[in-house]
Amino acid sequence: MIYDPRGTIDAPVLHLAKRPASLRGLRVGVLDNTKWNGWKVEDRIATILAQRLSLGTVTRYKKESFSRDARPELLAEIAAQSDLVLTGIGD
Amino acid sequence: MHDAIRLETAGIPTAVLVTTVFLHEAKVQREALGMIDIEPVVVTHPLSTLSNEQLDERAAEALDQIVRAWGATGK
Amino acid sequence: MIATKPEDLVEYYFEQAWSDGLPVVPPTPEKIDAVLDVLGGDPERLEAVVPPRRGGLTRNILAVNIVMAGCKPEYAPVVRAAMLALCSPAFNLNGIQATTHMVSPLLVVNGPIRNAIGMNAGHNVFGSGNRANATIGRAIRMILLSVGGGTPGDLDKSTLGSPAKYTYCIAENEEISPWAPYHVEHGMSPEDSSVFVIGGEPPHSITNHIADDAEGVLDSIVSAMSTIANNNAVSSGSCAVVIGPEHAATISKSGWTRHDVRNYLWMNAGNKFSALTFNDRYGKIYNRNLPRWYKREPDSRIPIVPSADDIHLFVAGGEAGRFSAFIPGWGHMTSPVLLRIDGTLANAAAMCEDGTCRL
Repeated sequence: MIYDPRGTIDAPVLHLAKRPASLRGLRVGVLDNTKWNGWKVEDRIATILAQRLSLGTVTRYKKESFSRDARPELLAEIAAQSDLVLTGIGD
Repeated sequence: MHDAIRLETAGIPTAVLVTTVFLHEAKVQREALGMIDIEPVVVTHPLSTLSNEQLDERAAEALDQIVRAWGATGK
Repeated sequence: MIATKPEDLVEYYFEQAWSDGLPVVPPTPEKIDAVLDVLGGDPERLEAVVPPRRGGLTRNILAVNIVMAGCKPEYAPVVRAAMLALCSPAFNLNGIQATTHMVSPLLVVNGPIRNAIGMNAGHNVFGSGNRANATIGRAIRMILLSVGGGTPGDLDKSTLGSPAKYTYCIAENEEISPWAPYHVEHGMSPEDSSVFVIGGEPPHSITNHIADDAEGVLDSIVSAMSTIANNNAVSSGSCAVVIGPEHAATISKSGWTRHDVRNYLWMNAGNKFSALTFNDRYGKIYNRNLPRWYKREPDSRIPIVPSADDIHLFVAGGEAGRFSAFIPGWGHMTSPVLLRIDGTLANAAAMCEDGTCRL
């Protein structure tokens, strides 16, 4: 008999958030994943896009630790204060 | 990916930057977590040893992808 | 399911993506049932979800991996408890599996179960030669590969890997140790059995054949800890120190306790900030992975870990030989986890989910 040691994945079915009709004036949250240089790229991108697309405010948030999930309280705060978010993984 | 998916579930369009080397991991994670439609924004690896000019190049790679990820044609 | 000769099965399993590169024991219904019996039956009961693939570790799948690794059924509770510890949020197994660092989970077992299942805490405690140590560690790695999907070059991005990624499991040598065992230091009773997991680099050997007092031995350990190249130096977090029995006897003869040892090591091990920044050769560096309360001045001493409690201290190894070992960790991105053998926390209040408290 052949055995498969991997087990099955029981993933939920999750859907993307609704997309806005226009980006103009929307508030952007930038979640810094605190990994070495990642935040610098995110920062530059956020600044360029805010000008180019006439976005609203850009607010930066910092995770406690890269590679860990952000705390639920932090994500709730970001969700309450942002219409769009930019974040990153890896380095 | 976990953070981005939780934010999308909370109703916030989220663009998640991933370097090329971690793209496969990002795709496996979106499947494992159940949000197969989230498209990462891909930039060239690595980021940790780059000069500011090189970081600007990475930013340029990402801009159009982010606008697409946020989903509107951006005016 | 096709009936196949065992030797063909061994070759078949070698070819699977989840193989660790060593031959596995082909499972049979009888072998699986023997493990399930020890676990308490209920084969579809979900014990854990293993990142990054998030495969479901049911008792059945746990048994398959335990058999394949070559474990005896009586090792099963240790493997189970270790997986519960590894899959708890504080450990961040997702990060450990994916990182480019060579970190691998080290399992340390305490309590009566060590002797009950024939673990080795003496000579060659880190290997090789003991079936329990070797196959328990291997079962964990196989689950990380198969259920967790952490296969090399795919989701496991470790640049170099490590021999510890074949197996990395020891028992503390409670019998020869001059001090209380680790789990008793952390609030359990000696009759409890426990598992402790920490993400670790392979052991760095520490030789000291000169000192006949505590400080001398500990200064060698301090030296081993005080390198800029180990991950703790730049990423903070936790580490382990394993003191060999001869060294432990010398330290204890000077009257030093576990508390004294951990605090001496913490207080004296470290690097100058200027060494970590290469004297700003590449521009001014702040390093946000170090606690914000460290001073970032060139001559500031940067401790290897933020507190003496982040040094996890064990006595293990044979009674002959003046050697100890330093085991650096991965960094602040993971917290080690200590569980009773039944999977419950030592201190029910210690829910370290957000990293604001450590073990």
